[in-house]
Amino acid sequence: MSDPGRDIVGALAALALMLTNGVVLIYMLRKVLGRFHLRLGPMRVGWRGLLQTPMDVVKLLTKEDFEPAMTDKWVFRLAPLVVFVPSFAAYLPLAFSPTLRFAGLETGALFILTALAIIPVGVLMAGWASNSKWSLLGGMRATAQQIAYEVPLLLALVGPVMLAGSLDMTEIVLSQQGAWLGVLPRWYVIPQFGAFVLFFIAALAELNQTPFDMSVAESELVEGFANEYSGMKFAFFFLAEFSNSFIIAALMVTLFFGGWLVPFVDPGLTAPIAPVVFLVKVYLVIFVLMWIRATLPRIRIDQLLAFGWKGMIPFGLLWILSTGLVMKLAEVTG
Amino acid sequence: MAYGLGLLKGMGVAFRNLVRGPITVQYPDERLALPQRARWAVIPLWDGSGATRCTACTNCVRACPDGILDLRVTTREDKTKHIDAFDYEIGACMMCGLCVEACPFDAIAMGQDYELATSDVERMTVSLLSDVDAASARREKPASEAVAPAPGDAPAGEA
Repeated sequence: MSDPGRDIVGALAALALMLTNGVVLIYMLRKVLGRFHLRLGPMRVGWRGLLQTPMDVVKLLTKEDFEPAMTDKWVFRLAPLVVFVPSFAAYLPLAFSPTLRFAGLETGALFILTALAIIPVGVLMAGWASNSKWSLLGGMRATAQQIAYEVPLLLALVGPVMLAGSLDMTEIVLSQQGAWLGVLPRWYVIPQFGAFVLFFIAALAELNQTPFDMSVAESELVEGFANEYSGMKFAFFFLAEFSNSFIIAALMVTLFFGGWLVPFVDPGLTAPIAPVVFLVKVYLVIFVLMWIRATLPRIRIDQLLAFGWKGMIPFGLLWILSTGLVMKLAEVTG
Repeated sequence: MAYGLGLLKGMGVAFRNLVRGPITVQYPDERLALPQRARWAVIPLWDGSGATRCTACTNCVRACPDGILDLRVTTREDKTKHIDAFDYEIGACMMCGLCVEACPFDAIAMGQDYELATSDVERMTVSLLSDVDAASARREKPASEAVAPAPGDAPAGEA
């Protein structure tokens, strides 16, 4: 796994996936939200608006790289990268099939959350350096929110990891093979339903998704921390946001929905289409995220933080405790 | 018990909207039929023979809150009127319809042409009528509208 040529190809493939995924997800978001709102979504550029997002990319690339006069120049320039690079790094441990992965990491699941934990720093940098009230408020909110919800996200991770006995993304999926009583797929969403709910809510907050999108809060803060950014710098934030949805959805599929496994089918049979199965599951999760985005209103920042610290974290700790107890009991009773 | 069920209910409503399909149309290519009572800018009306119904009474001009109707009239010696110009500054019109309400002769109405945007400042003023003889103000009541006198209308003591 330490062949440098393979690593470079893996990194480039991850970058290609990230950029393509960004374009696809933006189109999907606009179409899906449009349908939820009884609209058509983009229809004009290309067949059913398919070329709309590529054209938007061209627009962002050719736009003037504008910086407001009173910004903190270097922090302002660095912030998009501090958001973008960890998001890119988080792709590396993702496992698309038993053999297909960008880089083998034994601590993969933890690595993803660690990489995502750097993002609030970049967001706060962007908010601070923009020298604008709205940006600063958005940045502060995003940081408070993401720090508060990273803890339950991590706690929700512990349950499946305890069952799988590994942090390696491939191992976690492989341990979900087979079925209980012949009918229920051995996906961790069933024994770990509490952790799944915890993970889902924390993921919404981590992704700045409605109902937890206070950091962007379009009706209050215009565009939050990304307010003063334009052109390619803004595109970096935007891309990181969509790539984060992909990562969190991929993590959710790996931890709770058996990764590339198809229930009741021998893994050997589906091996050739394993990455397709994985991607379909990921996009289904992203669809649910968009569904929530189209439905729910935004809650208040103090409600969000109180819910995170007083509700999610104690519940996460209790869940880990009970998972451990049940596992120990099962071990003792044989 | 029911805590959180509202969220699921809302999600259900959103999903029903998703499968319901779009209700919007691609506007310049497709158009929806206008409701019958839709109304935009003022248009002139004509009687059956194609002559204007306008008697140049200027009620509409006085009713207009924006003062954007401009009716220029020449009165001849025999008291008949000639409309030199009836100009309507459509760019300043707020489509309130008070002029139509004020017109005693149904000479104007609110039209249904809603594509009024223009880049030409000349088109902000349109001519409703120009250089036509005004209709006679005398009204002939159609026979069908004649009403038989009600018994109560007769003077007291005569019946």
